Amino acid sequence: MRIQGIIHQQICQLKWHILACFGLIMVLPIEEALVNLKEGDGVHSSTMVIASVMFGPLLAGLIACANVQGDLNEKLYIFWRSKPANVKLLITLKFFIGLIVSLVILVCPVAFGIISGGVSAEYLSESDIRYFLPFPVLLTIMTYSLCFGGNVLVRSTARAWLVGMLLAGFLLLLPFILPLNYKDFMNMFEMTGIYFAIIPVASVIAFVFSLFAAQHDWHLRTNLKGLLWVGAGLVFVLMTLFSRQVANIKVLQEKEIVSREWIRDSLDSVGDKVIFQEQSYIDIDNNKISFSDINGSPDDIAVPITRMEGYYSEGYRGTGRLIKVVGDNLYCFNILIYYRNELIEREEKKPIYKHIYEKVYLRCYKYTNHWRPVCELDISDCLTDNSYPQVAMRLIDNKIITLIDNSFIVVDATNPKELKLIDKKRNVLKNRWGYYHERRKEFSIPLLPVEELGMEDRIKLSIDCNYRFSYLRSKISETSIVDIYDGKIKFFLVNDNNIAGFDVIRWDNENIYCKFITARPFTILECLTDSFHSNNAFVKSGKLYCYNYNTLLVLDTRSKHKIRKLGHFVRMDYAIEDIAVLENDNILLLMHWTQNFGKSPNNQSKKRYLCLLENPG
Amino acid sequence: MFRMLLWKEWKENLWKLWFCGAASIVFTTMLFRMRIIPDVPNCILISFIQMFIIPIVYSLDIFSGEVSNRTIHLLFKIPVKRWMIFFSKYLVSAAGIILIFLISGILMELMTQGREARIFFLFETNLLFGFSGLTLFTWFCAFGCQNRSEAGSLVAMFAVFIGWGIVLLWSGLCEVTWAERFVPYSLLLTDITEISLAGIVFSQILASIAVLAVACFRYVSIRRYL
Repeated sequence: MRIQGIIHQQICQLKWHILACFGLIMVLPIEEALVNLKEGDGVHSSTMVIASVMFGPLLAGLIACANVQGDLNEKLYIFWRSKPANVKLLITLKFFIGLIVSLVILVCPVAFGIISGGVSAEYLSESDIRYFLPFPVLLTIMTYSLCFGGNVLVRSTARAWLVGMLLAGFLLLLPFILPLNYKDFMNMFEMTGIYFAIIPVASVIAFVFSLFAAQHDWHLRTNLKGLLWVGAGLVFVLMTLFSRQVANIKVLQEKEIVSREWIRDSLDSVGDKVIFQEQSYIDIDNNKISFSDINGSPDDIAVPITRMEGYYSEGYRGTGRLIKVVGDNLYCFNILIYYRNELIEREEKKPIYKHIYEKVYLRCYKYTNHWRPVCELDISDCLTDNSYPQVAMRLIDNKIITLIDNSFIVVDATNPKELKLIDKKRNVLKNRWGYYHERRKEFSIPLLPVEELGMEDRIKLSIDCNYRFSYLRSKISETSIVDIYDGKIKFFLVNDNNIAGFDVIRWDNENIYCKFITARPFTILECLTDSFHSNNAFVKSGKLYCYNYNTLLVLDTRSKHKIRKLGHFVRMDYAIEDIAVLENDNILLLMHWTQNFGKSPNNQSKKRYLCLLENPG
Repeated sequence: MFRMLLWKEWKENLWKLWFCGAASIVFTTMLFRMRIIPDVPNCILISFIQMFIIPIVYSLDIFSGEVSNRTIHLLFKIPVKRWMIFFSKYLVSAAGIILIFLISGILMELMTQGREARIFFLFETNLLFGFSGLTLFTWFCAFGCQNRSEAGSLVAMFAVFIGWGIVLLWSGLCEVTWAERFVPYSLLLTDITEISLAGIVFSQILASIAVLAVACFRYVSIRRYL
């Protein structure tokens, strides 16, 4: 075969397409250059170069479809197949001629950007080119190959282009819709790594397929109607797979809450009930959310609480809140920390105010249509770090264990109106925030010396204290990351990359010894919005609930050797405020929405919603 | 006779209404049930995709289908004015496009009652996208009424999409306000362009009438097939 002749014939066959594609891809950079010239900035283009390069894959598809369309015309096909031509060589030549033309067209705007930038001394950023160019080039190769393969099979320009683009779209979405087990594996690679693997493989397959299709005269007769229905069906399947991965937690009811007051961590579970903002019960009947008032009994006289003149307070309602029911009465325990502001002078900088924490009180409040203090304990001597005090509390069998910095106290709360100090140990907590560096090695966590507790509760509190004891935001009072089941103690830690499970293998009077079991990496979709961390994760009834700004994941922790995802709930632009797992296993989610698109200007307030979700699995 | 032509076109293009309508209903329901993104961006996303897909589906074979099937010979031989043939095709397509947008708009409103956006906001937004889609289709008629293949129609439709995008960019960058009024996408950008919606609609209607006249003239003057 005369290869040069074929190349010449092919270029002649494609000349109008080449011109059209060249015109289309160059319009925007030329337009930008002219606008810049008009404004006196010189003839150069930068932004539109990148935008034009993005059109490259679409135009490459057009060239691919036009490339062999003429040769595959029924009469012409019979003619040249009757000649002693090597079909595979001919198709290969045509494929690569078209591909090179497509790549040259793709590079044209970049060349224009570089040259015009050079002329006007407005250089196109090299990092921009290096960052933006490789992916469109690879994508161009893929769309070209797929459209070429589609055209050899379908033999209709428009339909082949649609088929090629649909397949390209499918392959680009593939990393997002892979089944869970594979997705976990895929997450080990970087996002771009996946595409750098998919694109060449798909291109080679499409090319080899087109060779065989031309050799064996595979011709798929299509009609527009059928093709569109198949395409829509494919998109439907993709979306179903997608929704099963990221939206498989059913919303049973959603209720807008009209509340001017905003309290952090507004949901408190008390027995089988949930209290909202310490002011009303949330009743759930037949998956309908309603509110009922808490009946307070005004039979107590409030005790005078210590007034701290000149001090500010932190803590009340903000953290460490515990609610307990005694008979018909509702009591709330709180840690209140008082601080004063001290002006700190700095060299060559503006002076700043620093909080100096000095006093800490454990207070008990009773609900009598509003919260009234009924008891107070001064525990200021436990405060050792007056800059960033760490506080937490947990109620276990009528005993309140309060942790402050390196100290703890145990208080008998059988009668909340008369809190009795049972034990106080100062400077005994150590090695908190023990991050694991080499998790595959056995490691130990210090056991809290709270002898008033049973061993399981002690271990649970020690592990929570080790990983979730933080400055004024600890959620140890409500939740735990420890799962005790069938005599085994497991706990789960969440970081940016994965959820790791650990076994407690043994313990002594000083330490708890732990071993890594398994880790589940977050998938691409799970990490899209925000990262996760242990403070927003807890275990209840064998399920790990893990949430970030707008995503909730529910995972099964009792599967053998692995952590299995059961459900995924995400709502962009919303913020999850608090979560409560109900007795019937359903989930109550409190969220707010700050966007105001489509609202009248006088309705600018933040909207809050309570969502009742069906627990998956 | 015109009514019969309309009936013929309606029957021929009914599958497009079914296809686009079913796809629109299914995907709208799916996305609003999933609710990964809030209602308004969801509505904009769906309407934006519809604005491009529905005119493409209608344009692919509305004119070129008659040529590729060779029924144009028969059609041009029946004793009826050619402008009637053109308008029967255009009106049926336009009705189909608007109907699909109406259906999806109503569905969006029903699914989001009392949720995030004010009442009828999604319906209005969706309808604006529908009107833009119809305007784009009208512009396609001027370029694609003589096409002989689906590929040609597809290229003509894309040329309209991209061409108006370029005009929008140019008019925005160079602050050519009068040109912005004629860009179909301006209907969706009234907050940014600061041109009143009524002014844009009026300009668009005027432009559409002119474009339709050109398209009709081009269709009537088809010679080469006969």
